[in-house]
Amino acid sequence: MEISVRETGGVSVMDFTGNLDTNTSPAAESEVTRLLDGGSDKILFNFKDLNYISSSGLRILLATAKKMRTTGGKMMVCNLNETVQEVFDISGFAAILDLASNVEEALAAF
Amino acid sequence: MSENNKKFTILAVDDTPENLDVVKGILGQDYVVKVAINGPMALKIAEKQRPDLILLDVMMPGMDGYEVCRRLKSNPETSDVPVIFLTAMDQTSDEAHGFSLGAADYIAKPVNPPILKARVETHLALKESMDELQKAYGIIKGQKDRMEDELNIGRDIQMSMLPLEFPAFPERKEFDIQALLKPAREVGGDFYDFFFISDDEICLVVGDVSGKGVPAALFMAVTKTMIKTRAMDDPSPASIITRVNDEMSEDNPSSMFITLFLAICNVRSGACRYTNAGHNPPYIMRKSGGRDCLDQRHGPIIGAVEELAYKESATTLSAGDSLLIFTDGVTEAMDVDGALYSESRLEQLLDGNNFSSAGDLVNETLASVESFATGAEQADDITILAFHLEQELVQLQQLEIVIEPDFPEIERVNRALEKFAGENGISKGVTAKVSIAIDELVNNIIAYGLGNKLRHSIMIEFRFSGNQLIIEIIDSGMPFNPFESVNVDTTSSVEDREIGGLGRLLVYELMDDVSYQRLKEQNVVRLLMNMPA
Repeated sequence: MEISVRETGGVSVMDFTGNLDTNTSPAAESEVTRLLDGGSDKILFNFKDLNYISSSGLRILLATAKKMRTTGGKMMVCNLNETVQEVFDISGFAAILDLASNVEEALAAF
Repeated sequence: MSENNKKFTILAVDDTPENLDVVKGILGQDYVVKVAINGPMALKIAEKQRPDLILLDVMMPGMDGYEVCRRLKSNPETSDVPVIFLTAMDQTSDEAHGFSLGAADYIAKPVNPPILKARVETHLALKESMDELQKAYGIIKGQKDRMEDELNIGRDIQMSMLPLEFPAFPERKEFDIQALLKPAREVGGDFYDFFFISDDEICLVVGDVSGKGVPAALFMAVTKTMIKTRAMDDPSPASIITRVNDEMSEDNPSSMFITLFLAICNVRSGACRYTNAGHNPPYIMRKSGGRDCLDQRHGPIIGAVEELAYKESATTLSAGDSLLIFTDGVTEAMDVDGALYSESRLEQLLDGNNFSSAGDLVNETLASVESFATGAEQADDITILAFHLEQELVQLQQLEIVIEPDFPEIERVNRALEKFAGENGISKGVTAKVSIAIDELVNNIIAYGLGNKLRHSIMIEFRFSGNQLIIEIIDSGMPFNPFESVNVDTTSSVEDREIGGLGRLLVYELMDDVSYQRLKEQNVVRLLMNMPA
């Protein structure tokens, strides 16, 4: 899995390519920690090229959301494909995370 | 007097009765003296009475002494009896002739009593020594023959237990197998075996029993039988070996040990699981180039330590790969200078050659070892087994992959699944869902399901049945049902959320059907996905 990070309009946009599962989640976690330690308070998870996410990936999202809540930051997720949307629905994450259809929409909402 | 205080018997032969009286007078006190006045009578008495020594007059009418001697020596009943010729002074020139007929000595007539006595005593003592030597030789030879018999029986036992017919499975085109065992002069206790435990799974075993002769052969026979019996019910190498070891080490008064390598290979998918109990590591030659050495040790030699849990590892053979299993008769073969054939020589042989078949691989290996060891006696049994996976002939509507219980292995499953999905037209969405389910379940099994110190491999199978894609995840760990609690609170807030059983929930919801069974001491998780028609 690959993660590339770009800054745009004060938001750290994380572009994911591949899958967020048991083996790739640790890398994602490190990247998020790096951003948070660097002072990012606006993080967008762009799942345009993400195939699927498992509970390990969900755990990272949850942890990030918790952390950012305590520091007053904001986190969003956009470009969920059908499978990822289904996972979010089943797990109830669709209700507790801020979702957007695409990057533009997300950036506007920060 | 002889050793057992029986008097020796002497037969005196002379046509002159007075001479016989003289001899009787000289020897009658110490020996039993029989007499004969002509050749034919002498022969009769000799055969009937078996004298210990014969005094033979040369000049006799009719049959002379030489003729009598010739006849005595040519009759096996009397040929061993020492013959002393008695001759008149003017016949000494015929001594050579007499000796050539087998006479033991010559005494001149008229006989000198002390000389006669001395000579008789000497020759009787000589004969007794000869008899003792013969007896001793007989005993030694008997023991040697018994030892040879034991070695032969041992070898017969050993060879009768081996599958010797090749090609072994001519109707199976998916693979090619060849094995040979070249016994050393003394039975060395090697063995090999291979047999199917299910339609597509073949069990390969190679072993080496410590010790020699019949006891080693019997130990080998018992072990071999036990392995086969267990394997029919239990497709986990670690489990089979663990149980065999428990039984063999429980009652092992003569402390026999056996090194073993056991592999179970799926001939359709190439998935192999294996356990190495103190055995020298086998090699896999990859068609893509390169050689793997299966050098993990999953436990010590069998028979040494009771109640030991053996481990297993997994690998996959691709079409064109070869697996070579052998005993240390190969690597420890010695040449005339005592140098060992060694692993490095074997590796050179394997790297430098392209083997087109299992038979090729086995024969080349043996030829190389034999050529190296020319002139030296073979010290240990040489066993070589080669298993070659042929080109895939069947388009896989089924995929089996075996992994070790490590998280990174899940990646391997994903890649295999993607390939399988591509070959069988499974949509991206379905593939993704299956990937998630596998990630969740395998993760769980590795983290919680296998049991404390045991490392059992996990098998994942994909197959189609009609419109359904069936996924089975099978492991030999402790009983573990991943679906035991599926209630997760999905309405709590971010702060209160526990990820807990979220994975299970996803599996349950994403798959069209899920089930768990405990079958033949294995956890079997089955997932179903309905495919569009």
